[in-house]
Parts: sequence; C-alpha cells; structure tokens
Amino acid sequence: MPIDPGFATELARELPPADFLRVLELFRIDLARLTEEIEAAAAGGRHEEVRRAAHGMAGAAGAVGAATLEATTRVVMRQPDAGMDLVAIAHNIRTLADDTLLNIDRVIAQARSA
Amino acid sequence: MTPPSGAPSRILVVEDLAAKAELARIFLTGLGHEVQVASTASSAFDTARSWQPDGILLDIELPDYNGLELLKNLRDIGVDAVVVVVTATASMELAKQAIRSGAEDYVVKPYNRDRLGVTLRNALDKRALAHARVHLETALVDTRTRLDAAEAQLSRKSYAGFIGASPRMRAVYDTLQGVAASKASVFVTGESGTSKELAAEALHKMSPRAAKQFVPLNCGAIPRDLLESEVFGHVKGSFTGAISDRIGAAKLADGGTLFLDEIGEMPLDMQVKLLRFVQTGTFSPVGSSRLEKVDVRFVCATNRDPLMEVESGRFREDLYYRLYVVPVELPPLRDREQDVLLLARHFLAMFDTEENKGFKGFSRDAEAMLLAYPWPGNVRQLQNVIRNIVVLHNGEMVEAAMIPPPVNRAAGPHYSPRPALAPPPPPPTAPAPGWEPQVSADPHLHEPNSPPPFTPPSPSPSPLPSPIATPSLPTTLSVDPGVEILPLAEMERRMVLAALLRTGSDIPRAAALLQINPSTVYRKVSQWRKEGALPEGFPL
Repeated sequence: MPIDPGFATELARELPPADFLRVLELFRIDLARLTEEIEAAAAGGRHEEVRRAAHGMAGAAGAVGAATLEATTRVVMRQPDAGMDLVAIAHNIRTLADDTLLNIDRVIAQARSA
Repeated sequence: MTPPSGAPSRILVVEDLAAKAELARIFLTGLGHEVQVASTASSAFDTARSWQPDGILLDIELPDYNGLELLKNLRDIGVDAVVVVVTATASMELAKQAIRSGAEDYVVKPYNRDRLGVTLRNALDKRALAHARVHLETALVDTRTRLDAAEAQLSRKSYAGFIGASPRMRAVYDTLQGVAASKASVFVTGESGTSKELAAEALHKMSPRAAKQFVPLNCGAIPRDLLESEVFGHVKGSFTGAISDRIGAAKLADGGTLFLDEIGEMPLDMQVKLLRFVQTGTFSPVGSSRLEKVDVRFVCATNRDPLMEVESGRFREDLYYRLYVVPVELPPLRDREQDVLLLARHFLAMFDTEENKGFKGFSRDAEAMLLAYPWPGNVRQLQNVIRNIVVLHNGEMVEAAMIPPPVNRAAGPHYSPRPALAPPPPPPTAPAPGWEPQVSADPHLHEPNSPPPFTPPSPSPSPLPSPIATPSLPTTLSVDPGVEILPLAEMERRMVLAALLRTGSDIPRAAALLQINPSTVYRKVSQWRKEGALPEGFPL
C-alpha cells in the first residue's frame, strides 16, 4: 500500500517535467544504494555506518518529499548504540524503501503519461 | 572577487547523493549560476582550487572526509569562496560550527529554490561588501602612500646626491626623474660649480643602465690631439706613444652612460667624429679600420650657452640637435634661495666630521652673510668657504667673523640682500693635463677645476690700464673725484673685458660678476671682435 500521498508533489510543482523525472530516477539509485549499505552495516554490527547511511537517506528522502522514510531514518540517526536493534532497523528501512520505490515508479509513470 | 548582487556566480555543489546534487544544480542553474558538482571532499578540494568558484554549497557528511575539514583546507590554500553549509535541523550545532570555521551561512534541508537562492545571494552580497571594503581600504592606503610620496617630493631637501629644496631645484629633480629611464640624450647646462656632473651621475644611477659604467670625460681638460684616442681608444702603434691597444671611453660606456663634460671645448674636427658616433653608435679606434658598435647613452654638459656656441660657429649645429634632446638647466646658487643654507649646513656637518671640530651650526649673522653673497663660483665655492671656516676656526657656532673674504664683503654693518657689485670668484685653476675618471667622496666635489674661493682677489693680469672697480668697494657709495672719466661705452667695454680676464674667459661667471645676462657678454664680445675693439691677444 503506497505511503506518503504527498510524495514528490511539491517537487513536481517546482521543477520542469524533465528535471523532475531525472531527480526521481537519481533518487531511486541513491535509495537502493543506501538501503544496501544499511543492511550490510547492520549485518556487520557497524552502528556508525548505519547512522551515516541513515543520515544520507534522510536528506535524500526529505528532498523529494518522502516524509515517512525521512522521519524514520532521522530517528535512527539519533539512536545511541545501546538502543539500536540493527536487524530490526535494517528490516524496517528495507520495507519503507521498497514502498518508496513503488511510489517512485507510480509517480514516474503518471508523469510520463501526463 | 565576488560578483555584484544579482550577477551570475560560479557555484560548486559538494554533495555525495546524486538526487540532492542534481536538485541543487537545477535550482542554481535556474537562478542563472554556473554550477559544478563534486561528490567527495577530495574532488571538491581539487575543483575549488582549479575553478575558483564564487560560492560553495557544502554538505557536511561526505564519504571521504568531513565538510568542515574541507572548509579549513580550502581556506588554507586561499580559496575565499562564499560557503553555505547544507544541514538538517538535527545538525544545527554543526552548522554553527561551520560558520565559526569560515562559512557565511547555512540552509536547512530540505530547501526549495527560493530559499536556496536567497541564502546564497545574501552570502554572496555580504562577501562582495566585505571585498569592496577591503578594496576601498587598500585604495585609501594607496592614495595615502601616493600623497605622502607627493608631499615628500614637494618638501624634499635632497635628491640623488643633490642638496636643495628651492623651486628651481625641484624642477631639476622632476626633469631628472622623468628622463632617467629614457635613452634620450641629455644636455646639462649651468654655470661652473653647479654640479653638472652630479646631475649626469644621478641620471645614470636612476636609469636601467645603472649596472653598467658611468664614464665621465672632460673635453676641456684633454689635449686636443689626445681627445679622439680618449673617446674611441687606439691600437698599438697608431701614433707615437701608442705602445699598446687602449680602450676608449665609448667602449667603456657600452651599455652605460658617457658623460661629455665641457662639450663646448671639443674641437670641430672631433665634433664631426662624435656626430658620426652619436648617429650610428659605431666608431673606429684610432689607427684601426674596424668598426665597433656600442650602446651608449649620452649626457653632455657645458657652462656656456650652447645655442650661442652654435651661432658663433664653435659648435656644430647638427651635433647640437643630436645631443640637445632633453635640456637640464642647473640654476646658479644665487637663484636657489635658502638652498645656500641647506648646502652650508650639509658641508659644515661633513667637514666637521672630517676635522672633528664640534661645529653645530651658523649664527644668524653668519647665515645672513651667506645668503647675501651671490656665489659666482656656486656650490663649489660655498663648499670651499665652509671647509676654510672649519679648518681655521673652532667653536660650536660659525660666526660672521669667521667667514672669509670675499664672502664677508658682501655684508657690512648695513648690508643689503644683494651686493651692489658682486665680489669676484676665485681664479680658476689650470685644467688637468689628461683625462682620468674623477672620484670624490662628496657629490658636490665632482666638477674639476675647483678654485679656493677664499683666496683674496689677485691683481688682474689685464693689460688694460684703467682702474677697475673691485668687489672690495664698500656698498656705501663713495666717489673719488680724481677718477679717470671716460665715455660710458668705453667704461663698459673695459669692465666687461676685465671681468673676462678675471674669470679666465668664463663668460657665465664674468656675466655673474657684472650682474648681466651671459648672452649680453657674448653679443658685446662678438661686436667688439668685428669692430677690432678687442685687445690684441685677448684670450677669447
């Protein structure tokens, strides 16, 4: 089920269609890479790497209006090592990332058909 | 330099996430800026150094190293671009730290185009104002420096070895400074003792030729049959006594300056050879057919009126026009106002050190006496008078009573600023038999033939029988009813000729004694020559 109904709407208003689509495509690549980085760092128990990748994902998500993903990753950024369940975090972020990727595909399809 | 408000700028976006970097690029290009993107701190460092952006949009979290460290490294290498840090609300403390490290501002993400545009523009404007202020401050300092230099120039009391602050000497300094860098020939005129050689040396020292030789040659002091050899050199056996090759002044001065003093004394046949040298820069040593080429700057000097010399046929007109490119007229000391005292103090300090006497200065009466005297022997005469005083007297102050004749005759109890009749200058000494470069510890000693000015006037060798008014007459008018009465024109003729005899036919000095223009003396002598009114054997 798609989250963030307002995803990318402001961006779509602000950018010409070609630029808008290009940013979304790039965001898709960033998101995939960062998700993999979080999963790998979590599997290795590397808290700081998880935090840094979450920081990057929060910034990128904020830029395109992926509000739920941005809020979740910001929480991760601020968590102390002791309270971090890395496996759960990685799983949670993967779920949100996949959902966001679906969102991206939907918005891109809409933009192209418009 | 930061572009003015609203003008397109070069902005470097430092961002490792492609979507965010692209978004920033789109926003900034949309605002009219030129944009480059760096995804790591290292590549940003390289781009900033080579591209020299006006502004940097900097994300703190970078894959290789921290944005704050990058900022410090950029400032260390002199990159002074405006830096705007991109931060999340959660890292505001980091943004403030960035500002403390030299960033201008920060923008909280996510940002839209307007927010980014305003933040960046404000930062660029703030930097432009700071630059403008620095520029204005620099310009202000520069202007102040120029004003100080101009003020120093206006108030300067010495220049390139000259002592003097009178308007006429300042004009001389300006001319010397203006012409020094040029290769143009300079023709220095001035009475004997006005430091013509010093002017020539100053020109050389201030010119690009300073590293090469300054070669002075006194044309009046060299026997005429040796002059060509002195100027151009000779080869062995070219004439009796030429036992080896000898380099002449022209070759010695290659790349430097050749100073031809007393050029008016140069024989006409030698003037022809000099003209060819001046025109072509080439010459042949005496006894050789080999042409040599040199690069020489000519500075000439004479104490005569060069144009009068041309008119009288003693100086070639074509040579005159070749050499008389930039004239520099050195004023006589009597026209230099308070310079007399500046020079007197300079010489007093110099000779006092030499003689270890302890003189500190001049009394007011002594100064008035020095100012009242017309100094026909000019700076050289003043120098000798001061030396005389220092050698013969002791004390802290030079008093009027210490001043020797004829200077002390210029000012009696009721002296006037200018004597009614100028005292005679000391007789000139005979010229040296041959040319040698002259070296002196004091610049004012450079001209040769320095006469001792304190020598009492010797009886005139004039064959003229009539009594000649002497400078020893008191300024208070006394009339001798027994004096021989002659037509005024005859009295004038006798007086002029007597003055010429007394000065060794030095027309400017004779004119100074008579307090008339040298051209008047030239004109009268020419007329008397035509009329046969010059005594037989008169040395002129």
